[in-house]
Amino acid sequence: MNELKTSEAPSLMTDETFRLLRDFIYEHSGIYFSDAKKTQLENRLTLRLKATNLGDFDKYYYLLKYDPQADRELRCLFDSVTTNETSFFRSPPQIQSFQEKALPEIMARREEQGEKILRLWSAGCSTGDEPYTMGIVTKELLQERLAQWDVKIWGSDISEKALKSARAATYSEYTLRSVPPEIKKKYFIAERSQYRVVDEIRTLVELQCLNFNDSKRVRLMRGFDIIFCRNVLIYFDDAAKKRFVSQLYDNLNPGGYLFIGHSESLHNISRAFKLVHFPGALGYKKE
Amino acid sequence: MNDSVFDTIRDIDDLPTLPSVAMEVMSLSRKPDVSIKSISECIYQDPSLAAMVLKMANSAFYRRGSGAIDTLHRAILMIGLNEIINITTSVSILSIFPPGDGQDESVRRMFWNHCIATGLIARHIDKKLAMKSMGREFVGGLLHDIGKIVLDQYFHDEFEEARAFSIDVDCPMHEAEQEVLGTTHMEIGHFLAEKWNLPGYLADINLHHHHPSAAQFKDITSLISIADLLAKAREFSFGGDRMSFVLADQEAWHILKQMGYPVHFLDLERFTFEIESIGDEVKSYIGALSETDARESANE
Repeated sequence: MNELKTSEAPSLMTDETFRLLRDFIYEHSGIYFSDAKKTQLENRLTLRLKATNLGDFDKYYYLLKYDPQADRELRCLFDSVTTNETSFFRSPPQIQSFQEKALPEIMARREEQGEKILRLWSAGCSTGDEPYTMGIVTKELLQERLAQWDVKIWGSDISEKALKSARAATYSEYTLRSVPPEIKKKYFIAERSQYRVVDEIRTLVELQCLNFNDSKRVRLMRGFDIIFCRNVLIYFDDAAKKRFVSQLYDNLNPGGYLFIGHSESLHNISRAFKLVHFPGALGYKKE
Repeated sequence: MNDSVFDTIRDIDDLPTLPSVAMEVMSLSRKPDVSIKSISECIYQDPSLAAMVLKMANSAFYRRGSGAIDTLHRAILMIGLNEIINITTSVSILSIFPPGDGQDESVRRMFWNHCIATGLIARHIDKKLAMKSMGREFVGGLLHDIGKIVLDQYFHDEFEEARAFSIDVDCPMHEAEQEVLGTTHMEIGHFLAEKWNLPGYLADINLHHHHPSAAQFKDITSLISIADLLAKAREFSFGGDRMSFVLADQEAWHILKQMGYPVHFLDLERFTFEIESIGDEVKSYIGALSETDARESANE
């Protein structure tokens, strides 16, 4: 009966509760909902309100703050406040720059140094499309020489739900829309109407749940050659962006590259990187 | 054979020439006290050029406000002397090397796409840095690579080989040209600019746009150098060049900085995103030009 009532007349979020929830989320994830995004937060949390059977947002806030089960709910909250929009070979000019410029440059240097190690990170990997794309591109570049290399691609996300589907590595035709046909044939197994990433690529990728606000754990992510962190910074306010980007700088090896989302910018966020113009895309280099 | 490419081109008797009216307009424009009347009279000497300039001034790309522009005098008042000189140069140069012509039509089109993109990007940077190049930046962008079009016209196969070399080895086009042809588009372009008696800054841009510190007109050559790179980064490249670059490390960048232009205030990311739509501007410009062509031939 109660449940019915809630769904018929969803309770509204007062400005005060909005600020409490907003600050709570910010404190725990760095994800920031500006005043303009109140409706967005309200819409997303309405689903959690229904799922937890709570009557209003105050009670929901109380649960997050004091309930022994709060951790579990917090994970669900992260699932619902992040957008998992992603796809294979997203923003092709960026992938092309990664494939034709950044990666070959780093591989050449590694070979020169006599250590064939590659460490890549898809930070905010969502359902895994991006780290698997990085894997496919690496394999395409190295071909049979891949066996001589120690390649590890980390995919991290705050959303357990997204990571669960990343682990399943099974995708719809739609997410594969930018994948060239010969790549699709080579690296995906068609299963009914779905496509599964082949094991050869899956084994290159290591997935883990990581909250960018957890600076201790983020600091442990060391020695990366290339980091993709696309369409993640949009969730943060400037202070959190600065903190996080400066952390990413430390996570990179000298000579490494950071790629952020197409049309995202580090202007006013960081002066540490060198802005590199690739054909059709921008990258940030740690000197 | 290699060292003779330059000599061969130098000795070609029927190398295309810029129409005399275009040259005269350009030299008139260098006079500080030039009058609207003298410029319009000069253009009227070539009635078909005058007609094309008027049509271009009335095209969607240039039209300001309502009402048709029916005299050159009015055109100069409405869109400014610099733009009229830009149009005269564009129309003239494109009549010598038409976009849909050449040994390989798509190469010719890529060439003009690149040059017009460079001119338009130079115009945007000029505005951002308040360089007040007064339209020279557009003409400079348009003409900075004329050496390439001549190489493509007279040494097509070798030029294609240089393009392939540039992509294979991942080196700048001028290095590939030196390797394959024994000369560069800069040398050829510089030769042509002098032969056509173009203003000194255009000869300078042709010779030095890859190393502007050697230029006499350092600011405009640096401006074109940067616009050229950005045009290539936007995939408006002609020839191999698919190089990546750090703008802040470029010779041209340092020169502009030293000369006191506020390059460090430029939000490069935003600017790069802004010029993503340069393709539409190029299309609109070429559309306007070919519109005038089409109407011209329909009138004949």
